[in-house]
Amino acid sequence: MLSVQDLSIRFRTGEGHVHAVNNVSFDIAAGQKLALVGESGSGKSQIALSILGLLANNAETSGRIDFNGADLLSIPLRQLNKIRAKEIGIIFQDPMTSLNPYMTVERQLGEVLELHEGLRGSAARARVLEVMDAVQIPDAKNRLKSYPHEFSGGMRQRIVIAMALLLRPKLILADEPTTALDVTVQAQIMRLLDDIQQEYKTSILLITHDLGVVAGFCDETLVLYGGRVMERAATKDIFALPTHPYTRGLMRAVPNIHEPHAKLTAIPGQPPNQTQPLTACPFAARCQDAVMDCHSSLPDLTQSAPMRACLRPLEELT
Amino acid sequence: MLSYTLRRLMAVIPTILILIVICFFLMRLAPGGPFTSERPLPPAVMKNVLERYGLDEPLYVQLWTYVKNIIIAFDFGPSFSQKDRSVNDLIAQGFPVTLTYGFFSAVFVLVMGIPLGMIAALRHNSFWDYVMTGLAIFSQIFPNFVLAPLMVLLFTLALGLLPGGGWNGGQWQYVIMPAVALGTSYMASVARLTRGSLLEVLNAPYIRTARAKGLSERTILIRHAMKPTLLPVISYMAPVFVYMITGSVFIDIFFSTGGIGQNFIDAAYTRDYSVILGLAILYSVLTFVLTLIVDLVYAWIDPKVRSGLK
Repeated sequence: MLSVQDLSIRFRTGEGHVHAVNNVSFDIAAGQKLALVGESGSGKSQIALSILGLLANNAETSGRIDFNGADLLSIPLRQLNKIRAKEIGIIFQDPMTSLNPYMTVERQLGEVLELHEGLRGSAARARVLEVMDAVQIPDAKNRLKSYPHEFSGGMRQRIVIAMALLLRPKLILADEPTTALDVTVQAQIMRLLDDIQQEYKTSILLITHDLGVVAGFCDETLVLYGGRVMERAATKDIFALPTHPYTRGLMRAVPNIHEPHAKLTAIPGQPPNQTQPLTACPFAARCQDAVMDCHSSLPDLTQSAPMRACLRPLEELT
Repeated sequence: MLSYTLRRLMAVIPTILILIVICFFLMRLAPGGPFTSERPLPPAVMKNVLERYGLDEPLYVQLWTYVKNIIIAFDFGPSFSQKDRSVNDLIAQGFPVTLTYGFFSAVFVLVMGIPLGMIAALRHNSFWDYVMTGLAIFSQIFPNFVLAPLMVLLFTLALGLLPGGGWNGGQWQYVIMPAVALGTSYMASVARLTRGSLLEVLNAPYIRTARAKGLSERTILIRHAMKPTLLPVISYMAPVFVYMITGSVFIDIFFSTGGIGQNFIDAAYTRDYSVILGLAILYSVLTFVLTLIVDLVYAWIDPKVRSGLK
């Protein structure tokens, strides 16, 4: 349904270009839940924004983002505006700032219905209420005229989710939907997303840095580093036996409930400098298993399972 | 909201009383008086004059009489320097003039400043942005006492389009130059403020949310970006309104409009106690009312402020 092909995103800045995303390809099938995992600066959010044409003004893109036959990177804004919210919804990271503080909740939700389906008045209100109920906002009827600041963070994120669900889009991009929330609220929101996905049969692209969030949610996981795909596999395989050195490093940095006293190991070194185009594996500098070739060649993602971009995956090590 | 407004209005009364007391004594502290001149009046004449205006009484009696007359009869007393004219007369004559060109000046500031700033922001870093910013800085560095003579040189002497002064009952030709000369530098500030504000708002996450909904840029600008963009402009306008009314002294002198600024200057020169006090009260009431209006507009736009007012 959505196919990202050879996507690169770079930003013009005062000090030259920043290569945020480098030749990333992946696709999502209808009804699939795919996770994009990576640390800050890995380019994961930029990929989501590029799908809806929401990148900052100084961004340059190349490649294709194919959605039901249209290339989202090159179609005119007028056409893109028909896809936004209608076909592809997005849930932003920070519910504190992503709602307009000067408009009532009803208006902010209602304008989506008005724009795409011509619904107004009581018909629109009924639909808004229906979705607010679906995301479990208590007493929704009396809260229609409330402003965002009158809701708690968790409730605001439910409103943001309601906004993405209004038109039952085929794909929802969830860009760190729980990062700004308390842990208990996080769990509620993830369960809500899961229920909704089952009911609405939407595809979800979940973008997160939190492996714990991915574990119970996504069928497949894509691990990004330095704006490049490191590994793609079924989520259970990634947790059971990660084969890419970066993914293994990530796993060692996550506390394990079965070994509460095991020492956590951070990956040594710093995230890569992205001001130069990539010529070698971006992780090589921090990789314990790197060999000479790792610093001079850029391995491609293998096309069949296990899919990864590495010269020295687990089974090569002896 | 209504009770808030009423409470704010009630607070005006004690504040004005305190202001009267302070102004009253400040004026008396300064050496000289309304009837001091280089050639002293004969003592008998002086005594008569002082008696006539009640200036021979003790200060607290004078203050009491002044306040009492205002409360009972809304009478701000006679002018000491202009024979047979009361402060009420002077204000009734000059204030409408000042208010008229002050109002049009404010309209000019908003109607020109806001769109200019928005165009500059929407064409960020383009030729038009630079033209607007340049123009704004250029007009900001011209105080009205430089701009007014330049305008007269151009529009009156060179082009012969507008009269160089006078009021003529407030005909539009006579209002234009005072209003524009008074407002230009504020207009430039408003343009720059609007530009900066809109640029910031357009980068806000909720504008990105609006884009993700599929709204057109036009709708986003009008529906989502306009209100927050105008908030800083509104806060800025409260003191500006007041300043435009009170700071019109030069305009009155240069264009001979006969506004209240002229009275203020004359009264200060001649120690015309009652006129100075009357104008001080007028200006402070004006300040209160305009600030209140601006606060109410602000609350009307910003729901967070509104819920704080209850």
